[in-house]
Amino acid sequence: MASVALSEAEKVYIVHGVQEDLRVDGRGCEDYRYVEVETDVVSNTSGSARVKLGHTDILVGVKAEMGTPKLEKPNEGYLEFFVDCSANATPEFEGRGGDDLGTEIANTLYRIFNNKSSVDLQSLCISPREHCWILYVDVLLLECGGNLFDTICIAVKAALFNTRIPRVRVLEDEEGSKDIELSDDPYDCIRLSVDNVPCIVTLCKIGYRHVVDATLQEEACSLASLLVSVTSTGVVTCMRKVGKGSLDPESIFEMMETGKRVGKVLHASLQSVLHKEESLGPKRQKVGFLG
Amino acid sequence: MLKSKTFLKKTRAGGVMKIVREHYLRDDIGCGAPGCAACDGAHEGPVLEPQPVDPASSLCPQPHYLLPDTNVLLHQIDVLEDPAIRNVIVLQTVLQEVRNRSAPVYKRIRDVTNNQEKHFYTFTNEHHRETYVEQEQGENANDRNDRAIRVAAKWYNEHLKKMSAENHLQVIFITNDKKNKEKAIEEGIPAFTCEEYVKSLTANPELIDRLACLSEEGNEIESGRIIFSEHLPLSKLQQGIKSGTYLQGTFRASRENYLEATVWVHGDPEEDKEIILQGLKNLNRAVHEDIVAVELLPKNQWVAPSSVVLHDEGQNEDDVEKEEERERTLKTAINEKMLKPTGRVVGIIKRNWRPYCGMLSKSDIKESRRHLFTPADRRIPRIRIETRQASALEGRRIIVAIDGWPRNSRYPNGHFVKNLGDVGDKETETEVLLLEHDVPHQPFSQAVLSFLPKMPWSITEKDMKNREDLRHLCVCSVDPPGCTDIDDALHCRELENGNVEVGVHIADVSHFIRPGNALDQESARRGTTVYLCEKRIDMVPELLSSNLCSLRCNVDRLAFSCIWEMNHNAEILKVRFTKSAINSKASLTYAEAQMRIDSAAMNDDITTSLRGLNKLAKILKKRRIEKGALTLSSPEVRFHMDSETHDPIDLQTKELRETNSMVEEFMLLANISVAKKIHEEFSEHALLRKHPAPPPSNYEILVKAAKSKNLEIKTDTAKSLADSLDRADSRTFPYVNTLLRILATRCMMQAVYFCSGMDNDFHHYGLASPIYTHFTSPIRRYADIIVHRLLAVAIGADCTYPELTDKHKLADLCKNLNFRHKMAQYAQRASVAFHTQLFFKSKGIVSEEGYILFVRKNAIVVLIPKYGLEGTVFFEEKDKPKPRLIYDDEIPSLKIEDTVFHIFDKVKVKIMLDSSNLQHQKIRMSLVEPQIPGISISADNPNMDIDEPERKKKKREK
Amino acid sequence: MAGLELLSDQGYRVDGRRAGELRKIQARMGVFAQADGSAYIEQGNTKALAVVYGPHEIRGSRARALPDRALVNCQYSSATFSTGERKRRPHGDRKSCEMGLQLRQTFEAAILTQLHPRSQIDIYVQVLQADGGTYAACVNAATLAVLDAGIPMRDFVCACSAGFVDNTALADLSHVEEAAGGPQLALALLPASGQIALLEMDARLHEDHLEQVLEAAARAARDVHTLLDRVVRQHVREASILLGD
Repeated sequence: MASVALSEAEKVYIVHGVQEDLRVDGRGCEDYRYVEVETDVVSNTSGSARVKLGHTDILVGVKAEMGTPKLEKPNEGYLEFFVDCSANATPEFEGRGGDDLGTEIANTLYRIFNNKSSVDLQSLCISPREHCWILYVDVLLLECGGNLFDTICIAVKAALFNTRIPRVRVLEDEEGSKDIELSDDPYDCIRLSVDNVPCIVTLCKIGYRHVVDATLQEEACSLASLLVSVTSTGVVTCMRKVGKGSLDPESIFEMMETGKRVGKVLHASLQSVLHKEESLGPKRQKVGFLG
Repeated sequence: MLKSKTFLKKTRAGGVMKIVREHYLRDDIGCGAPGCAACDGAHEGPVLEPQPVDPASSLCPQPHYLLPDTNVLLHQIDVLEDPAIRNVIVLQTVLQEVRNRSAPVYKRIRDVTNNQEKHFYTFTNEHHRETYVEQEQGENANDRNDRAIRVAAKWYNEHLKKMSAENHLQVIFITNDKKNKEKAIEEGIPAFTCEEYVKSLTANPELIDRLACLSEEGNEIESGRIIFSEHLPLSKLQQGIKSGTYLQGTFRASRENYLEATVWVHGDPEEDKEIILQGLKNLNRAVHEDIVAVELLPKNQWVAPSSVVLHDEGQNEDDVEKEEERERTLKTAINEKMLKPTGRVVGIIKRNWRPYCGMLSKSDIKESRRHLFTPADRRIPRIRIETRQASALEGRRIIVAIDGWPRNSRYPNGHFVKNLGDVGDKETETEVLLLEHDVPHQPFSQAVLSFLPKMPWSITEKDMKNREDLRHLCVCSVDPPGCTDIDDALHCRELENGNVEVGVHIADVSHFIRPGNALDQESARRGTTVYLCEKRIDMVPELLSSNLCSLRCNVDRLAFSCIWEMNHNAEILKVRFTKSAINSKASLTYAEAQMRIDSAAMNDDITTSLRGLNKLAKILKKRRIEKGALTLSSPEVRFHMDSETHDPIDLQTKELRETNSMVEEFMLLANISVAKKIHEEFSEHALLRKHPAPPPSNYEILVKAAKSKNLEIKTDTAKSLADSLDRADSRTFPYVNTLLRILATRCMMQAVYFCSGMDNDFHHYGLASPIYTHFTSPIRRYADIIVHRLLAVAIGADCTYPELTDKHKLADLCKNLNFRHKMAQYAQRASVAFHTQLFFKSKGIVSEEGYILFVRKNAIVVLIPKYGLEGTVFFEEKDKPKPRLIYDDEIPSLKIEDTVFHIFDKVKVKIMLDSSNLQHQKIRMSLVEPQIPGISISADNPNMDIDEPERKKKKREK
Repeated sequence: MAGLELLSDQGYRVDGRRAGELRKIQARMGVFAQADGSAYIEQGNTKALAVVYGPHEIRGSRARALPDRALVNCQYSSATFSTGERKRRPHGDRKSCEMGLQLRQTFEAAILTQLHPRSQIDIYVQVLQADGGTYAACVNAATLAVLDAGIPMRDFVCACSAGFVDNTALADLSHVEEAAGGPQLALALLPASGQIALLEMDARLHEDHLEQVLEAAARAARDVHTLLDRVVRQHVREASILLGD
């Protein structure tokens, strides 16, 4: 369910709770819900991750395909985003129902990821002007329990971390004609550095305060929220106001500060989880949707 | 219920696609040793012997099984096929690698595995829980496979020990890879190289000769001088070809000159397709038919094709300097215009080696074990082999396989495979010509025979499903005398409505040969039955060809029938196809059928049926000829064999009766009807046969020849050609028409099979039919089997299978069939040529009259109508002074001294057998009349042919 | 060398199974909390999710409501990364629409729709990874999801595919086997009665072999039933333990 209907009394209850730094599920205003991350869940992708944040359930698959670099950036590969808001999440998304939301999220993702500072796009270039890797990042929304942007961002980051691109060599002869050769060792592959990949922290204005990681119910009480994308060092790379209400400039600065603080913690814990998972090696028992 | 215990994934990045496949590991795969309690009942297929006794090896005296690696299987298959080698474990890993690398070896190993006597066991190690290995980091696919093989070998040894310790059963790992062997021994696996093992088999010393001698790369450089430059690796070649630095093409050695070859470059039809290579170093170890990469030399090094005939007679390695001298003699052509693009071989893309027939040239050095082998095909270089039985092999035809060609060796290295027999021996020579024309002629393997129906066979209830019972019809067959593979039968009857029903019944071979099984694959490979002068190489096993599929009289047989309803004008009103059961009432010869038609006294069912058919056939033929179908003749020769010695004692040209053309007419009709039907149903993947119209330039010689005799031949359409051929007659020279028709035949293109989805020109020029296929001889042509299957699917009588509706597979099949048909034709001609030789050998020297068929620059080609024999009379001879020759291309004519020769001139020649070269005997013709001093020879021999025609006539009267 | 050997002389398939064996099947019910019913299934490398909403009132135009039974609404969608080559759209293409229709037919035959007149049941299936037999995996997942939603059914619907190679019927085809281009048969079975809920075959197959292939598919579908039954029992046991606490 992308949205939920609340009665006036319920809303008041939530708003008052937030005022007291006590949310319906017992969290404080700057606490995230329990996050579950698992990578390499879809074996025929180059990288994949499934992230569950409360009831929000996201599956991301990354497929690396060879293509030609864009004219204006001949030395770089690029990323393509696609968000499928599937009918799994809510019957409203059936048919073309989820397309608008999907496009909106995809556009936000383009803005955040598709630049040099986030991802080392040059490492995706195989030979300038001729061949590069295109990473198709496909997001599948399976269940929606609030705070979509943050969850998707975590999932994308995890999936990119998990992505292994086969190493190719460009063979060139005297006349300059090129041939691409694929390494026959399946372990021989490139990894992307995700250190600079930012995470989105959505701050929801509820009453006079703001909360992070709002649930669906809380989102229903909020008129406006601020998306802040933060890197692991706490640098804000992007910011966007969403929602139908308005925000005063002062609270925007406040929210940004909270965003930086929370974002740094989020990055640190995500990074450690990903490394921990990887240290388990390929023999790790996969859980996927079975656990 | 799920037997897989562990669940592993294999990832493979091909292109940029990541492909994930499941790979299940099982614990119910047996080891193949009988009586093994651990894998009780888990055996399938042929099994190893419990106590392998036979190969007494001095290296490993206890009983053992062998476990060869991939390269041993690939290169030493000749050894493994020997009956002395038994009890071999073939790993799945090995088998798969072989399958990917060499289809012929894979097929051979499968045949061996299916042979119960050999006790070969295929162990599915890749799916066995304890023998599966995963590719590790930094390990390439080859290393992994080597490790998998070692793991399996080790597992076997431990497993057998568990089974019974006191047996001392061992598995011996055979590998020629030094490192792999060392690693195996380190891991406690008994391992030997193939050579070591074979040499230790003291009871079978003859096996050593069959070992392929593979010199290892490392040794190559150390010993001796390097003659050839290195071949570039494949990746470099492919790059070079892409960039245009190198050209890819088929290497074609010259028959006349061993220092010269051409490379036929694939691709661009516009560009000059041929590149000349001259000199040993530029040929750089390429062998005829190899796919090679060549580099063009700069223009100042271009050469012209030399006209010198050079045969490699060198015996010694040290002749390289002399060789160079000889090469210089080649470069004589000064004329700039004669120069052709010249190049050198830089690498081999694909070797196309096969076993070669030939003879041993024994080394002059006594006791030497290294000898040179001279292949029968002059385009193949001589091959050095090692053998201890040189004296025994002298004067025999033998088969040798090439193993490799090191850089420091003048000749390729090979090994002895088989002794065919004495030179000149009929059996041996037949074998040679079959081998040289790549005609598969081995007896059918067990695997193939296992798909034959069990005898006694009869039509069952099940067989009659989808089948019409036509046993009541009065069907009969008409064939040449002595025919045992009768694939067609006919019937004809009046219907109540006044129309005529005509049926062509073709043996239902596709009922017995099911798609995809070994029998089917083997028939597809053979493609056609090959008829030699006294031998038939069947495409399908004899049980089918001469019994179950042969539509003999008075037995129930399955058939595929094509039934028309016609009016008395032979116009088709209705056509239908059905699978059927028939019972032929009579198997007639052409002569018998003719006799029945002609004799007024006979009025039984068969005879009236024949008369009806004959009447319709005449109308059909007339109509066909009106449409422009060609009737061409080529002298067909048949040998009368001595019943005792099987030596040819007389030749006879085939005669044609009305009944021949009657059967032919209905076969054509059936083929056309079927072609229409299958093309209607399968527009994309019908197997059809086309005969392209020849380009006008082909007819030049025919028109010129006719003109020289004041006749006119029109060639703009098939119809006008047929008509003008009919008109071309000369009162003074009655044979001219036959000669013209023979010439016209030579102008024609080859008819070929093709897949309708891959082509859009379907026309059959010779038959003047817009569409055509082969349906009527499934016993002896594989194309017909496919057509049967297509038709069966089209009428819902049988089921389809994936390959049938895959046009690319079909196109590949057509390619093979066309190749096999061509080869069968060549083999047939070679067989006739050999028998002609035998005939003239017994006859001695003969003088005969003949006609000039072609005029060449320095020779004339003469046809002797009496023998249907064609030969060349050369006017230049090695040791004689050259006569004055003037050749005119326009007429064409050849003037020798003062005599002029034109096409169709009558000459008299002397025919004899030239056996100066034991390996290449040939018929030689020399001119007797007209007499030219110094050229022609007098007919000093008592002329033997005076009484000849008499004798022959008598024979025919009999 | 032409293609793969789908069935070796020793009787093993490319992935090591024998002709009649299924791939490894793992399944779980109740994957999502918000939906009325959900399930996940893995059949080898084919992975599918199914979600059921309903029975609820008709969404959109009331005119679609059926007076005597519930409307079964199905959508098939396949993740863009599910196939070897990336797909451009998850659903809405011809194949997905067809699959949706087939699913609808299958479940209309199985769900006791007359119990919920004028209402709607939504079944959404999502293929996460496709390695052959997607239809079968979807049906099996949807069966579990419908059971999870507590919607009454006549019987389980168990589906399996079968093919035909070298005169042998192969059960539960993987992608490689499907890609080889032989005949394929998809079968959805109501195992208790042995009734067929859906039967589909493409490519020509001779009548004589149909029985053999059908038998193989049916046997495999019954094996699937045994497994699904086990999953359901396990799920119910776990649920009751949780409730008991």
